[in-house]
Amino acid sequence: MSTREQKRRLELLQGTLDLLILRTLIFGPQHGQGIARAIGQTSDEELLVEHGALYPALQRLEARGWIAAKWGTSENNRKARFYALTAAGRKQLVRETTKWRRLATAIGRILGPEAEEG
Amino acid sequence: MFWRKRGLTDFSEEVKAHLELETERLKAQGLSEAEARAAAFRAFGNVTQAQERFYESGRWIWFDHLVQDVRFGLRQLRRSPGFTAVAVLTLALGIGANTVIFSAVYAVLLKPLPFKDSDRLVFIEKKNPPRGWVRNPISPAEILAWRNESGVFEDMAAFTQTSCVLTGMGEAEEDPCETVSNNLFPLLGVAPLRGRTFSADEDKAEGPRAAILSFGLWRRRFGADENVIGRAIELNGASYTVVGVMPANFSHLYATPYGTVPEIWVSGIALSPAHSWNDYFGIGRLKPGISLHQAEAQMDPVSVHIGEVHPDLRGWRAQLMSLRMMLSGDTRSALVVLMGAVIFVLLIACANVANLLLARGAGRAGEFAVRSALGASHARIVRQLLTESLVISLAGGVLGVWLASWGCKGLVALAPPSMLKSEPGLAGGAADLRVLAFTLITMLATTFLFGLAPALQSARPHLTETLKEAGRSSLQSPRSRRFRSALVVSEIALAMVLLVGAGLMVRTLAQLSRVNLGINPAPVLTLRVPLSGERYKQPQAQAEFWRRVVTSVEALPGVESASVARGLPIGDWAGQFFTTYDQPNPPAGQVPDANYVVAGPGYFGALQIPLVRGRSFNEHDTQSATRVVIVNEQLARMYWPGKDPLGKQLRMGTATGRAPWLSVVGVVGNVLSQGPEWGFHAEVYVPYQQFPWVLSPEHLLVRTAGAVKPASMIHAVVQEVHRVDKDLPVTDIRTMEQVAREPMAQQRMMMALLGAFAGLALVLSALGIYSVLSYTVAQRTREIGVRVALGAQRGNVLRLVVGGGVRLAVLGIAMGMAAALALTRLMTDLLYGVRATDPLIFSAVSIVLGTASLLACYIPARRATMVDPMVALRYE
Repeated sequence: MSTREQKRRLELLQGTLDLLILRTLIFGPQHGQGIARAIGQTSDEELLVEHGALYPALQRLEARGWIAAKWGTSENNRKARFYALTAAGRKQLVRETTKWRRLATAIGRILGPEAEEG
Repeated sequence: MFWRKRGLTDFSEEVKAHLELETERLKAQGLSEAEARAAAFRAFGNVTQAQERFYESGRWIWFDHLVQDVRFGLRQLRRSPGFTAVAVLTLALGIGANTVIFSAVYAVLLKPLPFKDSDRLVFIEKKNPPRGWVRNPISPAEILAWRNESGVFEDMAAFTQTSCVLTGMGEAEEDPCETVSNNLFPLLGVAPLRGRTFSADEDKAEGPRAAILSFGLWRRRFGADENVIGRAIELNGASYTVVGVMPANFSHLYATPYGTVPEIWVSGIALSPAHSWNDYFGIGRLKPGISLHQAEAQMDPVSVHIGEVHPDLRGWRAQLMSLRMMLSGDTRSALVVLMGAVIFVLLIACANVANLLLARGAGRAGEFAVRSALGASHARIVRQLLTESLVISLAGGVLGVWLASWGCKGLVALAPPSMLKSEPGLAGGAADLRVLAFTLITMLATTFLFGLAPALQSARPHLTETLKEAGRSSLQSPRSRRFRSALVVSEIALAMVLLVGAGLMVRTLAQLSRVNLGINPAPVLTLRVPLSGERYKQPQAQAEFWRRVVTSVEALPGVESASVARGLPIGDWAGQFFTTYDQPNPPAGQVPDANYVVAGPGYFGALQIPLVRGRSFNEHDTQSATRVVIVNEQLARMYWPGKDPLGKQLRMGTATGRAPWLSVVGVVGNVLSQGPEWGFHAEVYVPYQQFPWVLSPEHLLVRTAGAVKPASMIHAVVQEVHRVDKDLPVTDIRTMEQVAREPMAQQRMMMALLGAFAGLALVLSALGIYSVLSYTVAQRTREIGVRVALGAQRGNVLRLVVGGGVRLAVLGIAMGMAAALALTRLMTDLLYGVRATDPLIFSAVSIVLGTASLLACYIPARRATMVDPMVALRYE
C-alpha cells in the first residue's frame, strides 16, 4: 500500500499541523471536526487540512501529553471527543510559536526582496 | 490492548461523530443530506487510511504485529497438525540433543574454574622424551628446584594422593585423601568455609598434624558440627587435629589426574631437596605474561641441574598443562566430536523442516498472492512466515529442553565414572542459565536456518500467474525444486558422516571386546580392604590377616578359589625399575621397567592367567625361603631373548639399589594391564608372604565356582572379611568384568551417543527424501497420468520416480563420503583397531543409507504407479 509516501508528507507537515491544533485549542476544548473547521475558517480557507490527517496528529499530541481528551456532547447535542490544552501543551505552544515566528521572519527576510520582484 | 490507551472502536466512533458533525454543518449551509454527507467524506479523505494510520501510530506496533502474526501462525499450524507435529518433533530432537551435549561441553570445557585467575594455573608433571614417557608424577627435589630456581612461578604448591582410613568414630571408613603443601589453598585463591588452612609450620615432618575436611565428609560423618574445628580425629591410626572445612563445591571442582576427589587434606608434606621419589604433583601459578612453552623452556636448565644432583632424576623434563586442560583430560576430544555430531543432527532437522515449509509454502502460494495483491508488502509476508517458523522452533525448543532433561540423565548414566567423578557438573544437567541461553540462541538460529529460505521463496509469488491459476495447484518453479533437492542431498551427506562416525565406534568397541585381556574376568569378584593402624604395623600381621581371609573365603560354598594382590590386573599400573643380573649396568635411559604386582599364591588360578613355564607361587614361598619372582612372557622375551628365563635373577630398583636378588621361578601369560589400547608390558609378580620392599596386598580376588554369579557372593565375602576384623572398611566392591570394561567406558559412551545421533540422522534424511518425492509425485500427477494414458508401463513410472530419488541419494552419499573422509580423522584418538577411513565401514554405511533412501522412494513411487490416467486428467 502507499502509506510510505503519505507518511513522508505527514512528517513534513507535522510541526505545522501540531502548532495549528494547539493554537486552535487555546480558545477552549474542541472536538476534531471543530478544530478542522476552525483551522479552515481562521486561515480564510487558505490552509486546506484533510480532516482525516488531523486525527493522527491529535493522537500524537495526546500521547505527548500536550492535549487531553474526553468524550462529551457537542453544541447540537451530539456525542464527540473533546480535546483540551494541558499545561504542558500551553508551554509547548509558546515555544513553538516563538520558533515559528523567528523562522518565518528569517525566511521572510531572505525571500522578501525576491518575492516583491517576482 | 494494554499498551494503547484507546481502542480502534473508540477511534472509529470519533471519526463517525466527526463525519456527522460535518454533515450537519454542511446541511445547515443548505446542502441536501446526500450532498452534505458526500462532501464531509471528501473533506475527511480516506477513512480506512486514517484508521490504519491511527492504528500504526501505537508505539508497540511491531509487538502488535508480532502478536497478530503469532496468532495467525498458531491458527495456520493448528490447521495442519500433521505438518506441525513432524516439524516440532524434528526440531525438538535436534535442539534437545544439542542442549544435552552442550551442557556437557559447558560443564567440562567452558565453565570457568572457581579459582583466582585460573588461566595462569598450571598442572606440573614431568616427561622423559628419550624414553617416550609422559605425564609422570614428580619428586620433592624437582618441586623445590623448579619453584625456587626457574623464576617462572609466582608460587608452586605440591600434593600427593593417599588414602585415609578414618577410625575411632563408629564404622571405619576409607576416603581418598591428599597430603598438600600449605600454600596450595592460597595459591588457588580458595578460602575455607570454617576454620583455616594449613600453616607453614604444619608442612614439617615433625610439625603438628592437621587435617581439613571436605564439605561432604563434614556433613556425612560429623553432622555438620560447628565445633569440629580443633577436634582430634584418627587417620591411618595417627591422631590429627581438624583445622578447617572446605566449601561445598571445592572438592568436586578440584579433580585429580586419576579422577578421585579428595575428602580429606592432611598436612606434613615435608618436601626435602634430598627426596627424589616420584609421588607428587605440582600446581603452579605462572607469573603474568609467561606462556606454558616459555615456562617449560625456562625450567629445562633447572631440570638438568637436578639431574646432576640426583642421577635417578636424569633425563626428565617438566611437563606443564593448563589446569583447565588437565581437568577436561580425555573427554575433550570425545566432547568435540559429539558436539559436531549434534550440530549435524540439528542441521539435518533444519533441512527437513525447511523442506516441509517449502512444500507448504508452495501449497499456500494462492494465499500469498492474494495477500500481496491486497497490499501486503514483501517484507510483511516474510515476517509473517518467519514468525510461523519461530512459533515452530519455540515449540520445538520447549519440547527439546524437556527432552534434554531426560537426555542429561542418560548421558550421566553412560558417562565413564572417571568423567563423572572429575566433572560432577555433568550431573547437573541442563539446569544452567548459560545452557538455556545457548538453547535459545540455537532456536533463533534454527528459525532463520530453516525458515528464511522458504519464506523468501514463498513471499515472492508470481502474482498474475498464481492468481490466474486460481485454485489449481501451482507448479513449483525449477529454482525451488533445485533448492529442495540440494537440501535433501546435504541431509544425506550429513547423515552419511554421522553414520560413518557411529560405525567406526561400533567397530572400535567390537574390536575392544574381542581383545583377549589375558585373564578371564567373568567369574571374579574383587574388593579392597586397606589395612592401617597400630594393629597392622607389622607385615606379619598383614600377611596373617590375608591368610585367614583367603582361607575362610575359600571355604564358602560357591567359591572356587581366592587370592590377594596389590593392584588389580587391569587398570592399576605400578611401574617400577628393575635390574637383571645378566646386565647390571644398563646404559642410561634404558633401565628396564615393569608393572610390579604383589600377589598371593592363588592369583594366577583365580584370574586364569596361564602358567607358561615353571611354577606358580605356593605356601612355601615365605620369608625364610629363597626369594622368588614370576615374570610374564613379554619380560622374558625382552630381556632374555632366546634363553630360558627360569633361574634368572633380577632385582627391583636401579643398579645402585640394594634390593635383594629374586630368582625367576615361573613365566606366565601376558595381561593387557593398562587396557587394550596400550598393548603388553613387562610385568613382575612377587609373593606377598616374602614381604617385598613395597606395598602389601589390598585387593581380594574371589573366583566363583561354576554358574555362581560373582555379584551374588558380595554379602558372604564381606561378612568373612569382617569376621576376621570387624573394624576394617571394605571398598571398591566390583566384579572383574566391571573392572575390565572401565577402560572402554568412553568408547562405549561414544558408541551409544553417536549411534543414537546417526540413527536419528538416518530417519530424518529418509523422511527428507520421502517428503520431496511424494511432493513431486503429487505435483506431477497429471504428467504421470498423461504418460500412462499414452502407454507408459508401471515400470517406466516407477523408474521415473525412484530414479529421481536415487540420483539425490547417490549424490548425497558421494558428498557425505568426501566429508566423512575429512572429518573422521578427528576421531582417531577414540578409535581402536580400526582406521578412521575403514573401507568396510564406509561401504557398509553407504549400503545402509542407500537402502533407506530406496525405501523412502518406494512409497511415493508406488503411489505414482497407482495414478489412474482418467482421474489424473480430470484432476485439474
